[in-house]
Amino acid sequence: MFKLPRKTLINFILLACAILLVSNFLSCLKNPVQKIFKPQLSFIGMVKREALGIIFYHRNMIQAARLQNDIDSLRWRLFDLREVAQENARFKNLFNFKQKSPLRLVAARVIGRAPDSWSSSVIIDKGSYNGIKPGMAVICPQGLVGRIVESLDSTSKVLLINDPNQGISSIVQRSRQEGLVNGALSSNLIMRYLPDEAQIIIGDVIITSELSQIYPKGLLLGRVVNIGREFSGLNRYALIKPAADLANIEEVLVVIP
Amino acid sequence: MKKLFFLLAIIILVVLELNWPAFLDFFYCKPDLLLIFTVALVFYTDFKTALLFGILAGLAKDVFLPWTLAINTICFSIWSYSVYRLNSQISIEEVYARWTIVLVAALLNNFIIGLYSVASGNIIPLGIFSRNLIIISVYTMALSPLIFKLTKRIAL
Repeated sequence: MFKLPRKTLINFILLACAILLVSNFLSCLKNPVQKIFKPQLSFIGMVKREALGIIFYHRNMIQAARLQNDIDSLRWRLFDLREVAQENARFKNLFNFKQKSPLRLVAARVIGRAPDSWSSSVIIDKGSYNGIKPGMAVICPQGLVGRIVESLDSTSKVLLINDPNQGISSIVQRSRQEGLVNGALSSNLIMRYLPDEAQIIIGDVIITSELSQIYPKGLLLGRVVNIGREFSGLNRYALIKPAADLANIEEVLVVIP
Repeated sequence: MKKLFFLLAIIILVVLELNWPAFLDFFYCKPDLLLIFTVALVFYTDFKTALLFGILAGLAKDVFLPWTLAINTICFSIWSYSVYRLNSQISIEEVYARWTIVLVAALLNNFIIGLYSVASGNIIPLGIFSRNLIIISVYTMALSPLIFKLTKRIAL
């Protein structure tokens, strides 16, 4: 039978005990030893890094320039993609609105704005070739935008609702109070000719009325943000914040009657 | 060749005015770059060229406005003639004098357009009228050195 020498056995047991002892102590030793060596290791690491940086300076410089180029081109691509994503979201919104709306609509893109500050109009990329005629209402998913005042072959001019030339017969949705909404070349519209007893409060929703011959009934105009008395003292007026962001509008829908 | 560049400058300025970014609007007012160009032309070219391109600039502006009367074409030609007469009677070499002329021309131009708008039946509150009149004119004057530089570079 196989028999181990006594001495070997003792040595083996001693070695095993030593390993077990060291293993138990190791975890206790790890933290203080690493703490002691940390500054030295950091210093050596820094020296090594700097030395390698100096040795491979040229290679690193070329690599850094290449990576910088990559970053720049990726940043541009990211910017482009964000623009495309935003455009896509807007088109999706427009398309959904067009699908749900009972009106016959033609989508158009805004290609220019009025070159002066005395009128508020935009130029769209659809014209008489697309069936657009003067007098047609222009809307966006948020609300009423304006009406077509001029239609050429491939472009049309839209008079926005904040142009002073606009007069929109409208009503307060809650109380059915009637009034005339005018543009004032500012961010707000003015609802005029409101009698003293007019049922209107701040926050009321204003929509187009059926008396309007240009705009379909029930189109959202905006919300009342302030109510005041006219200079003559005979009537009251209400300031309305348009639902559509007229200053930054990019796509619109023309209502074909 | 110079005339071609003047035409190109008008096209660029019209495109710039049509696509003027909303964040550069000052209280919903934008500068009248074509008016500055019209006035600048009188200083750097002969009268006939200035008048011709002033009329073209006015026309280019009126084409994109929702009005039937070519009011800018009329006004711009008047400013060309008036500045030419003024230039021939007194020396307007000082930069500040030129800026003042642009300011006066812009004030008068905006006043006439504003009055025309009111006369057409538009209801413009007095505050908005004054805001447009003053801010557009001052904004126009503030940008005049840039357009003056552009015109000078083309003309000389």
